[in-house]
Amino acid sequence: MTGIANAWKNPIRDRVGLGWRRELAVGVLSHLDRIDLVEVIADDLFDAPRSERRALRALSAQTTVVLHGVSLGLASSVPVETKLLEKTARLCEEARPEYWSEHLAFVRGGSVEIGHLTAPPRTDATIEGAASNLERARAVVGSAPLVENIATLIDPPGSDYDEIDWINSIMDSAPCGLLLDLHNLHANATNFGYDELEFLKRLHAERIVAVHLAGGKWVEALGERRLLDDHLHDVPDAVYRLLAELAAVVPHPLTVILERDGSYPLIEVLLRQLDRAREALAEGRLRQFERIEKEAA
Amino acid sequence: MSPFDLRGPEFLLFYFCFSLAVIGAIVLLRRRAESGGLPRIDLGDPYLIAYLRGGEEEALRVAVVSLVDRGMLVMDGHQIRRADHVTVDMAHRPIERAVLELFITADDVAPVLKDKNLKPVFQPYRDTLERAGLLPDGATRAARLKRLLLGVAALGIVGVIKIQIGLSLERPIGFLVVMMIIAIVIGAALSFPRLTARGKATLEDITNLYSGLRTQINSFSPGGASAELAMYAAVFGVAALTATPFAYAEDLFRRRYGEASASSSCGSSDGGSSSCGSSDGGGGCGGGGCGGCGS
Repeated sequence: MTGIANAWKNPIRDRVGLGWRRELAVGVLSHLDRIDLVEVIADDLFDAPRSERRALRALSAQTTVVLHGVSLGLASSVPVETKLLEKTARLCEEARPEYWSEHLAFVRGGSVEIGHLTAPPRTDATIEGAASNLERARAVVGSAPLVENIATLIDPPGSDYDEIDWINSIMDSAPCGLLLDLHNLHANATNFGYDELEFLKRLHAERIVAVHLAGGKWVEALGERRLLDDHLHDVPDAVYRLLAELAAVVPHPLTVILERDGSYPLIEVLLRQLDRAREALAEGRLRQFERIEKEAA
Repeated sequence: MSPFDLRGPEFLLFYFCFSLAVIGAIVLLRRRAESGGLPRIDLGDPYLIAYLRGGEEEALRVAVVSLVDRGMLVMDGHQIRRADHVTVDMAHRPIERAVLELFITADDVAPVLKDKNLKPVFQPYRDTLERAGLLPDGATRAARLKRLLLGVAALGIVGVIKIQIGLSLERPIGFLVVMMIIAIVIGAALSFPRLTARGKATLEDITNLYSGLRTQINSFSPGGASAELAMYAAVFGVAALTATPFAYAEDLFRRRYGEASASSSCGSSDGGSSSCGSSDGGGGCGGGGCGGCGS
């Protein structure tokens, strides 16, 4: 990052936060001056005792809270379970998050839970299914979720669209914002050999509301070397570069969340990654302002 | 039919129910008046949380444990002293600096926990918690007193009228007098808990927010996670450290806990008000000397 970018005061009020995990509670609550918001996993609280859900409300009294779901399975031709939507609605009612989000994935086939987020075939059927599910989610919960792109180790068989066209088609069909996971984008671009900057350019920039940052590791999958998004490692430089690129084109404030699900380092390490995210945002914003000034001149 | 026309045992039953209703009303009105959502306070300050949960002594215990873990205080058997290289200004927070000051001369925890000179250190905590409605401030205490006086007046008026009737009819009034006193004492005890209802709920919320520490604590090593240790002690109590890698806390405070358990085995409820009483409930009467209730 340049010194100018560091010194330059970003007039766009981007925010940088951290995924709330119990293991990080002391670090997070002791550094709320450096953490703008926290993202809580909604599914952890669906069936939690009332006291735990009350604690979520207590957390939202301390800082801005957003909810993140992992189990709805929006991107499917099968309707989302009403029971899960109702649980999400109840949680939103209690925690009053600024927004809630879910993945463009499917997580169950029939009544069988897959156990992780799976990329569906990118077809008209899943586009229509996702749009229909998003409409149902909006109706039951009261607001549509931000939808998040997922990482995958295999290109979904039976697909008629590439990832960017598929995501854009869903966004065209449903009135919702995008939660862009930059490490998922980086991993997919790396694993399947497409240009991540081109991907960014083709996204509807005005629909990007929030960003996820995370880390991963290299694994062997199907006889090939793949980048796995595991949320257990530090954010790689390439993802910060993508964040700067994004900040250079998105005109409105972004909410950036660092996700870490295990192998927790000292909180200082995570705070430094948040600082790097701020630097990347500042660098991108500076470029955007310079471009606007140039165009105006 | 007027309750004052009831005969002795029937009136005692009525008065018992009446007392329950009055005490229940006092408690419910207090809770309603003092409840509310969690305010924004510094949940990263272990001493604020320890003070909220257990008052000055508990906050001092947490400070001592934290300073020992950070190597600023050194345990030597049952004695404790400031480490040679440590100066007071090396500590971050006022309470830690105050404790380090005391250990220039002190070599035992007990006098430090009772040191009156530390009172000013806690004033900001008290002010913060009172402003947040978690500890009762002057207005809250006055409202509590007003509710108690109204309750006492109700209990007293009904009781005194019946006592006068009993005396005029030369009936025994002992049971009624005892029942009145017990009802007033219980009402008073439940009127002035250390925490407000909001404070009690906040403490429960804080315990939930930090519940992950319960599973983490055994993976920490002394000196390796001082912030987490201090928060664990603040939220769950220094006594909760005894079965963890930080069991030295047991040695630090053993004598005090021993004294405490020898003198009383009472727990606290409702945020610190004493809920203990004698095992017979205070209502027993032996020897056949008790009076009845006039009718």
